[in-house]
Amino acid sequence: MDDIEAELKIDSPGNETTNQEIIKNPLHIEAPSKYYETGFHRSSRKCLKVIRDAMLHHNWQKAAEYFTSYIQTLEDTTVTSAHLTRDVIWRLGAEILHHLANASIDDFNAVYEIMKHAGVSNYAKICLEHAFHLLLNGQSDEAKRQLSSASHWRYGKLTDAQSLEMKLIHAYCGFLDYFIWSNKISTTPETEDVSSLQEISMYFRQASVTLQEIITRPGIWDPFVLSYITMLEHNNSLDEALKVLQNYAYNKDFPSNPNAHVYLYQFLKRHNAPQSALISSLRILHSAVPSHKLMLEFCSLLLKKHQDTALKEALCACMDLLEFSSWKCDRDAWKCLLKILQRPKNEHNMVKEEWAVRRSLWMAFHFRPYIIKTESQKDVRLWRIKERVLKLLGEDLHIEDTRKSPSGQRDRHHNASEDNVDGDSRRGPARNSNSSFKRDESKAAREGNAAGLRDRLTDFTHRKRPINTLNSTGQLVPVGFIPDV
Amino acid sequence: MDEYLTDGYSEPCAQCAAVDWGVSVEEQFFCKKCHNVIERTIDMVGECSLYSNHSKISYIARPKNTAMEFPQDWMVCEGFQFVLKQQADALVSLGVCLQFKTDVMWNFWKRYLQNTRQAFVNNPVSAAGFSAVNDLNSESKSKPESVAFCEESFLIGAPSEAEKPASGCSNKRRSGSLDASLYVKGRKSRNVMTMPRTLALCYLALLWVREAITLADLLRLVKERCVPYLNIHEYIPKDMRIYGQDSKIFRVDSIPSYSTVHKEAVELAKVIKLPAFPTVSQDCLLHPIPLTVRYLLESNLPDGLLVWVHKVIDEASMGDDSFLTFDPVKQKPALVCYDIQAAAVIIVTMKLLFKLDDRVEWTSSWKAASEKKKKVFNVERWYKVMQPAFERARQKMEREEARQLWKSHEPFITSLKDKSLVFKKRRVVNHLQHRFQKLTDSTPEQQCFTTTAFSSFQFHWGRDDGSYGRSLHQHRLNCTFKKKGVKRLTNRKFWHTVLSVCPPTCSDHFSEIEASLPRMYVWLLDLFSFLLGVSQAQVHKEVLNIERRFLKRKRPPVPKSTQRPSVTKKTPRPSATKKTPRPSATKKTPRPSATKSTPHQSATERTLRPRKITKA
Repeated sequence: MDDIEAELKIDSPGNETTNQEIIKNPLHIEAPSKYYETGFHRSSRKCLKVIRDAMLHHNWQKAAEYFTSYIQTLEDTTVTSAHLTRDVIWRLGAEILHHLANASIDDFNAVYEIMKHAGVSNYAKICLEHAFHLLLNGQSDEAKRQLSSASHWRYGKLTDAQSLEMKLIHAYCGFLDYFIWSNKISTTPETEDVSSLQEISMYFRQASVTLQEIITRPGIWDPFVLSYITMLEHNNSLDEALKVLQNYAYNKDFPSNPNAHVYLYQFLKRHNAPQSALISSLRILHSAVPSHKLMLEFCSLLLKKHQDTALKEALCACMDLLEFSSWKCDRDAWKCLLKILQRPKNEHNMVKEEWAVRRSLWMAFHFRPYIIKTESQKDVRLWRIKERVLKLLGEDLHIEDTRKSPSGQRDRHHNASEDNVDGDSRRGPARNSNSSFKRDESKAAREGNAAGLRDRLTDFTHRKRPINTLNSTGQLVPVGFIPDV
Repeated sequence: MDEYLTDGYSEPCAQCAAVDWGVSVEEQFFCKKCHNVIERTIDMVGECSLYSNHSKISYIARPKNTAMEFPQDWMVCEGFQFVLKQQADALVSLGVCLQFKTDVMWNFWKRYLQNTRQAFVNNPVSAAGFSAVNDLNSESKSKPESVAFCEESFLIGAPSEAEKPASGCSNKRRSGSLDASLYVKGRKSRNVMTMPRTLALCYLALLWVREAITLADLLRLVKERCVPYLNIHEYIPKDMRIYGQDSKIFRVDSIPSYSTVHKEAVELAKVIKLPAFPTVSQDCLLHPIPLTVRYLLESNLPDGLLVWVHKVIDEASMGDDSFLTFDPVKQKPALVCYDIQAAAVIIVTMKLLFKLDDRVEWTSSWKAASEKKKKVFNVERWYKVMQPAFERARQKMEREEARQLWKSHEPFITSLKDKSLVFKKRRVVNHLQHRFQKLTDSTPEQQCFTTTAFSSFQFHWGRDDGSYGRSLHQHRLNCTFKKKGVKRLTNRKFWHTVLSVCPPTCSDHFSEIEASLPRMYVWLLDLFSFLLGVSQAQVHKEVLNIERRFLKRKRPPVPKSTQRPSVTKKTPRPSATKKTPRPSATKKTPRPSATKSTPHQSATERTLRPRKITKA
């Protein structure tokens, strides 16, 4: 039997081993200048350096050879941080084994077992890693066995120190129970066999108890929550499931997690919840992640409501979405916007207000001549939609023409030069601009949700200002129209 | 062997009822009488898959060894005696004369014990009295120690009882040497034997018998495990068990440096009160002339250089017996570092012939190459042969150093409390190493060391296999020219750094001036320091010593017939001279006299020689 007392003494400073600590005091690879170095330490330092280089060059065979020699540092009697050495050896060993072609699963198991028992300070962490490795190799039963034996591990203060790992071990235990349960459910058809039913229900009970306990603690438990919800749904306790999801999404103690709202929405949708519930769940998601792909659904839901406020919200959501570069060329999003704009009940004012706020950004972001040119060549269908959107927004279609001879329209816009001084590269031929409107607009621009992005783009136009030239009629050509070519 | 393994098993055989067990090749027990094989097997440390999955851990009690159970009482100095004996045996087996072990080593050791009053005296003291012994030899000092000694031996009274860990008795000492704790306490004293000192003693003895093994060689032998030093407890017999405090004395985690052992040797010679050593004359291989031949061979330099090396040795009056012989009786005993000195002589000679200022040696090489004469030595060619070989050797050494195994299969046990932990660590290391060795098919470096035969040369030159490159030994040296019947050197200038002697408190200035020195010179220092396993600064220091002697020499009035290298001084970089604070005014005086002795010579040469040299 191993001498636990002696080990505890050695390991006690290693209670708070964290990654931070390793980062703070890394093992030395360069020669120390201040203190005398023994030959043994020099050897291990150089060896570690060679291993590092070999690993960086993916020369795993060489790394393994040197690692064989490096293992002797475990026996170092002078080192104060023995746990650090053990940690390094465990990590290096696992990594090298992972890449060695001739390493078998037995080797892995053996190394994990050895390192697990080499020092208790890393026990939980290594157990967890071991289980992950087994799961990766499809040995879920073995992983389950590992985890359940690890979850019963007790070692005085050290168990508390590794509370996070223990919690995770507990959680994954439950998760694997769920996994086995769901496998059994899907593979075994409806049987009347009492023993198999009992077994299934046992797994169900174990998993649900563990998962229920785990997900009440603050944290991000996505897979665990999902599996728990599946189980509850299977058991038809929908209220309970809803409660769990609502808690997961709305509990202030939990870190903010967009997925929580997604799960809630999906659950509600699955069970035909009223529209208002769906919309409210998506509304929160919108405030957290305006670029989420569910925003399209959000818009269509809002459109079903036939209300002005809903329409306005849909317009905002859709336009917010399109302000993200990943959505910039998404045809569905544009279609959605078109649909909103085409609404017969569409209050003209509402669209105008919204457009006025975003116009400067949108003209630069979506309707620059260069973009128009490339899009009209590459993705004609998208361009057609965009064209119609622009038309519905009341903008001029023939932008290229305006660029060529902007003076004609510019004459009508008496504030054009002033606009340019403000740094607002707005072009207002089709808009009957008045001063009060402009004030509102600049105010709104400052308050807009995508203000940051817009500001950046306005900056961009600022920088381009020296390019502005006076045209023949003595007016500035707005920057937004200078092609990028 | 079998008895040891089957000791704990005293069941009678099922077939013939005899208790006579042996262990077969398959590690199974069999009855020696009727050859009945039984189920019992011995437990194999390291081999068994103790940690592999699903395997049951079975424990078979290790048979108790009577020798282990009743370890002998022993003193630390006995341990050292054993170490020294092992080292002497190893050296004798390597070819050192037998006299070395039987007479010299033994006598030195006896003298040491006598002089430190540990043995061979009427009133021996134990270790803690060491510090006092040197100054006072009063009996009162030894008295309290002997009391302590009695106490200790009393505790040892029942070793079998103390051996049982379960008894929980408060004995300090389970086993191990009797006086280790006292020894550790008195460790600061100069007289106490230490592991580096065993090497120093070996070196002194080698010096006494005038063997051709220099200190650098000795340290290399240690490093390559031809001379036992690391994990010495493996060599010590089982009944002298190293335990507890002993590990502080006998555990070694680095090989001592050249300078440490050198210093220890001088100290030790004083402690032992050795008389003057046998003279180091020309027939002794430690004399610079034979030693330089060795290093010329090693560094692939032409034999022709030897003539010039001789001249430098003569001029620097280094061939003197009185200079070379170590005499501890002297006021300030100086032990010459023979090997470093020989290397330094070669460097000085190279500087004299090729200047080594990153310019002259290359221009002269190009000139030699343009003459299209084969077999003429030029520095560039030599560098091109030497540099890759040097780099290869250095990388090999780095590799070996990185893979060197320091820990023994039998770990040191410092206390009973740690015992299980130490063994556990050992087990873990063993298992892991086993796993990875199987995956890589590699054997640890340690075994490679012992299997390869030791060679005093690290480089081999020539056409045969395993050589590092072609040999340049036969190349002709073309560094003189004849003018009016007088042979003169092609290179007419000589540079050196500041030669004034620093006060002893001052550390060496090599690191400060290294950047300003010519690269070729630094490379040469690098090469020789690698060959000798010392630092560059040490070689540089020795070069300065030789230059000092060389430039200070008294010259006879220059006869026209003898050719002599013309010497002009040149301090190469002002920064080097400025940085080192020293009383320069008085010390610098000898130098002008050295140059003035041949003023007309260099003046005439300067006018006659081509412009190439004056450029430099």
